[in-house]
Amino acid sequence: MNYLRSILLLSLAAAAYASDVKVIVNASVNAASISAAELKNIFLATSTSLDGSHVEPVLEKGGPVHEAFVKEYLGKTDAALQTYYRSLVFTGKASMPKELGSDADVVAYVAKTKGAIGYVSAGASAAGVKVLEVQ
Amino acid sequence: MLLPTKRLALLVALCVYPIAGLHAQLDFTIDGRQVQAHGFLSEGFALTNDNNYLTMNTTSGNFFTEAAFNVSSQITDKFRVGAQVYMRDIGHFGQWQPELDWAMGDYRFKSWFGVRAGKVKTTFGLYNDSQDMEFLQTWALLPQAIYAVDQRSSYIAHTGGDLYGSISPKKAGTFSYVLWAGKNPSDTNGGYAYALRTIGVDYTSYGGRSDGADLRWATPVSGFIVGASYMARDVVGNGTWAFYGTVAPVHEESHKEYLEQFYGQYIRGKFHADAEYRRYYRGIMVNYTMPVNDDDRCWYVSAAYRVHKRLELGTYYSYFDDVRAYTGLTASNPGSYVHDKVASARFDISSHVYFKLEGHFMSGYAEAALVRGFYTTDNPSGFSPLTNMLVMRAGYNF
Repeated sequence: MNYLRSILLLSLAAAAYASDVKVIVNASVNAASISAAELKNIFLATSTSLDGSHVEPVLEKGGPVHEAFVKEYLGKTDAALQTYYRSLVFTGKASMPKELGSDADVVAYVAKTKGAIGYVSAGASAAGVKVLEVQ
Repeated sequence: MLLPTKRLALLVALCVYPIAGLHAQLDFTIDGRQVQAHGFLSEGFALTNDNNYLTMNTTSGNFFTEAAFNVSSQITDKFRVGAQVYMRDIGHFGQWQPELDWAMGDYRFKSWFGVRAGKVKTTFGLYNDSQDMEFLQTWALLPQAIYAVDQRSSYIAHTGGDLYGSISPKKAGTFSYVLWAGKNPSDTNGGYAYALRTIGVDYTSYGGRSDGADLRWATPVSGFIVGASYMARDVVGNGTWAFYGTVAPVHEESHKEYLEQFYGQYIRGKFHADAEYRRYYRGIMVNYTMPVNDDDRCWYVSAAYRVHKRLELGTYYSYFDDVRAYTGLTASNPGSYVHDKVASARFDISSHVYFKLEGHFMSGYAEAALVRGFYTTDNPSGFSPLTNMLVMRAGYNF
């Protein structure tokens, strides 16, 4: 019984963790939702489009929202993600994604940049951007 | 253990640059287009108890250096250009001469199809294209069975092009492919040419065609990647051969030369493990009449764990073996193999500055022509079958 309770509590905790983050895109992006696999491919630079729209990932520079997003959707630590991006940059295979300091900065950048896709905390204002449902 | 002016200047820069807070990514704008600039500087020191290694005087302790600087710009949504200059001074390799590491245009039509053209880093196995960037690794030296420092220039890049892309079938992970064709740079300063000088052969050119493919599968198991690479080479070497007081022209060319590599990687949280296996078959014809064949088997397994935000510990075992019937060496002869057990610690002083401490315990020395770090020229009184080595590296990247 205790074992089942532990599993239930862990599941609830994981669900709460994922829902701490919402994914936002510039209004030019056609999609209304995104799969976890698509999200991972875009942020790992193996995909550059979503529903036919060109997309450009934007990161938060550290912080709990960034840590949660990277762990939950990319399956990496921040250090591993930085290593991954640097390996692409130093072999000429991609550029370093834009990094911004706060939710407000990310929302402002995504709002004004065609194709931009980012993530912010669930409670952040999403004025001027589109929130994608992650499936 | 000399510390020449260039090296001293680099060491000072390495210390001062991050302290001065100049560690932000360098972004600037040219004609309205954003340009990114990145670079790294890595200073190393190697000390062995016996046998000089990688053309350095390691028995007395020897410093070595690597550095690179790149710029790139996204011209349109789909088109990107960039270039990198690389420089190294590792024993006789590099000698501070800057070289164009890569310079290319990259047009990505779709996620599943893109084209790169110019001088392009060759995607082969997990780390061929990034092997110079040790700051990406736990290790001070990558497993030399596969990523041999002295063979770097032979495989690192090709002048030609790549076709590449990724597809993600539903719930089946992501498949990424690269197909390439081009010409390897002429490498008369690499380990092979260096080794041949011990028998009087001096190459004025050495290089040729290289075609290949890499296919990797990021499986549905998070962090687990498997892949395979293949490379066919058609290499030509020309120079002179001095023997018994005469100097004659020498020519070699591949009649059948290929590399195949299989690999796996698993990353979960703070844990990271790699395994790679390479077979290298090299059949060449010397002066149109003399066949020479090598058949190398190389592999390594590695594992690392980040025990603290600033400390990562790791270990690997690297295995290189080549028995060539024409040399008369048997499998048990230390001149046929190098087996290296390694323990490593990486200290991240910040996200851009690090220090590494690594111990190597090597058995065998794979005699000169096998190009695995041990050269007769640097060890004129012969080889010891065992070599212990301490490697330290400090570096900075932005």
